[in-house]
Amino acid sequence: MNESLLFLIPLLPLCCAVINMVFGMRLPRLFAEVLAVTGVAGAFVLTLLFWGYAEGEGTRAVLFTWLNSGSVDISFALNFDRLAAPMTLMVTGVASLIHLYAVGYMHEEEDYARFFSLLNLFVFAMLAIILADNLLVLFLGWEGVGLCSYGLIGFWYRKLENAKAGVKAFLVTRVGDVFLAIALLWLFAITGTLSISEINAQATSISPSVVIAVSLLLLLGACGKSAQLPLMTWLADAMAGPTPVSALIHAATMVTAGVYLLCRLFPLVSLSPVAMTAITAIGALTAIYAATCALAQREIKRVLAYSTMSQVGYMFMAVGAGSVAGAMFHLLTHAFFKAVLFMAAGCVIHLAGEENDIFKMGGLTRRGPVELFWVFLAGAVCLAGLPLTGGFFSKDGILLALFTHPDPFYRVFWLIGVITALLTAFYTFRLVYLVFAGEYRGVGHPHALPLLMRWPLWPLAFIGLLGGLLNLPAFVGGSETLHHWYDNLAGRRVIASHEVEWMLILLAVAIAAVGWFAAHWRYRIYRAPQANALSRFLLNGWYADTIVDRLFVRPFAAMGRFCSSGCDRTLFDGTLNGLAKMATGWSSLIVQMTTGRLTTYLSAFAWGFLVLLGWFLLKLVSGGGH
Amino acid sequence: MMIPFGHALAFAAALFVLGLTCVLLRRQVIMILVGVEIMLNAASLVFVAASAYWQQADGQVFVIILMAITAAEVAVALAMVVYLWRRKRSLVADVFNGMRG
Repeated sequence: MNESLLFLIPLLPLCCAVINMVFGMRLPRLFAEVLAVTGVAGAFVLTLLFWGYAEGEGTRAVLFTWLNSGSVDISFALNFDRLAAPMTLMVTGVASLIHLYAVGYMHEEEDYARFFSLLNLFVFAMLAIILADNLLVLFLGWEGVGLCSYGLIGFWYRKLENAKAGVKAFLVTRVGDVFLAIALLWLFAITGTLSISEINAQATSISPSVVIAVSLLLLLGACGKSAQLPLMTWLADAMAGPTPVSALIHAATMVTAGVYLLCRLFPLVSLSPVAMTAITAIGALTAIYAATCALAQREIKRVLAYSTMSQVGYMFMAVGAGSVAGAMFHLLTHAFFKAVLFMAAGCVIHLAGEENDIFKMGGLTRRGPVELFWVFLAGAVCLAGLPLTGGFFSKDGILLALFTHPDPFYRVFWLIGVITALLTAFYTFRLVYLVFAGEYRGVGHPHALPLLMRWPLWPLAFIGLLGGLLNLPAFVGGSETLHHWYDNLAGRRVIASHEVEWMLILLAVAIAAVGWFAAHWRYRIYRAPQANALSRFLLNGWYADTIVDRLFVRPFAAMGRFCSSGCDRTLFDGTLNGLAKMATGWSSLIVQMTTGRLTTYLSAFAWGFLVLLGWFLLKLVSGGGH
Repeated sequence: MMIPFGHALAFAAALFVLGLTCVLLRRQVIMILVGVEIMLNAASLVFVAASAYWQQADGQVFVIILMAITAAEVAVALAMVVYLWRRKRSLVADVFNGMRG
């Protein structure tokens, strides 16, 4: 194996995407499906083969010079280092299983070539973000995932609301992308390079105020992609897409790209305490905002979407608290258990006869394979943070990093994190009870579950449950594998006494238990929900859409109306139309003179003649004076 | 006996005004043509008078050319009058207002 072959990892999905795009509909269906899965699974195998190159300082592979103009020298370079390798492995691994699931999920879909080519293209773009050694390559991937996300959310574009959801996701993330682009250009203006490693190396020589500004811009860019406040409104609507898309893009991979970006540029971002606090604050606010919204959602996928926002908020908090290892740990475990939850939710929706509303489900254990309940539960206990699951350890690591932060103000964020954990446990078990407990309340006829929709869940659920082993804290006998793996990239080393650690662990256990029992008490036996003002407020996501509508959309529309009817139609068109009308008026006066009657013309002749004659006479008289 | 130049001019002017009045006041195409002829003759008269006054033959030559042109003009005009009559069974000038804007 040669290090220059690293490019094969992203190239493989790209090739399969292109083949499916061009020939997909002419190939036999099975071939297109196998091609799509092979592309991603091949990338997974390659990542395993290349694993050794990530050791130490990592491996840089320059493929070719992309742009070379004067002082601008941008090479298409990949960087396979300790930060990128686990992320690559996670993305390709989860994507392979989700591709398999998608083959089962889309088995009745006519337009499979478009679906699989977009899905493969997405994996390519995501790998470009992860492996990029250059911010411009990263930006290429960044826009690529946005494009694929748009195409896949609106995959069933014949329904207007799906197409609208796609456009909304595209536009809202684009707002963040603009800030990211500004940050990139600014960094280029200062450092003269776009290479991530060089920017990180030069970070200390940049003036502090610029560091703050660039970091905040990067944060806003990350917010757009990761659905954090204030650019979070698109994620819940993005659930209009097919379920494999929700599992892959809007749970496991793309929404964590913002976290990855901040980790990539951590040496730069961490220089500014202001930016770090802003990252933590945004993460904390999003975490609690999304958790409260999830409490009242009726659609199963929207609950999961809000929980994703909330969990990504935790990752932001971890970055803000200076613990890259903590953020990446939660990112990895979250990817596994949230993918499982989404895929299981897809099965649940199938079983309930394409019914999304959890109040019209219930008793699904008896309607479908019982194993579905167990994998869903495995994902749910990870999300709720029940002890010894992967989600428990990763969330606890973040809370510990917040609690032990030197700045006492971070205790506030820690408290928000703890409350969010309580809410998370509650809404997760609410979901489990509403879907699986009691009697079936819906009217739909269950659809059969293809085998391919069932078994890819098992490995993911397994890894999600055992994900804690990746980074088991030292005081429970673990070796903190992930923290050591990240080495000098890991950020702040969290140092805490064993008493504090045990106290936090016990608190986390207690909180998960309290959340569970509260949900058990409320939802074990189904009671019809009463809609009140609070639940409507939460169901509509704090009316965030309305606020955005009032603050931005309507003023913009009003401005547009002013420009179109006020300026354009009244002022400009009015002036021009007025001029034209004046000309028509004048011409109609002149038209009246051309009567076509000979006598009129003759008398006009005569009068003209008379005038000429008079004029000559006048000249003669006045000329005679000389 | 030489007719004074001024008399000849005054007579020509009177003739011209008569012709013009005829052109302006009559409605019949034929009468308008007659008026035009009278005005042309007034102009010819001025040529002849001036030719006699300055003792130059050019004026008289020009009058002969003018006569030829007038003859041609009358031939064309009368043909058009026949044509107009066939079109509308009327010779009132204002009936033919097809060029109205």
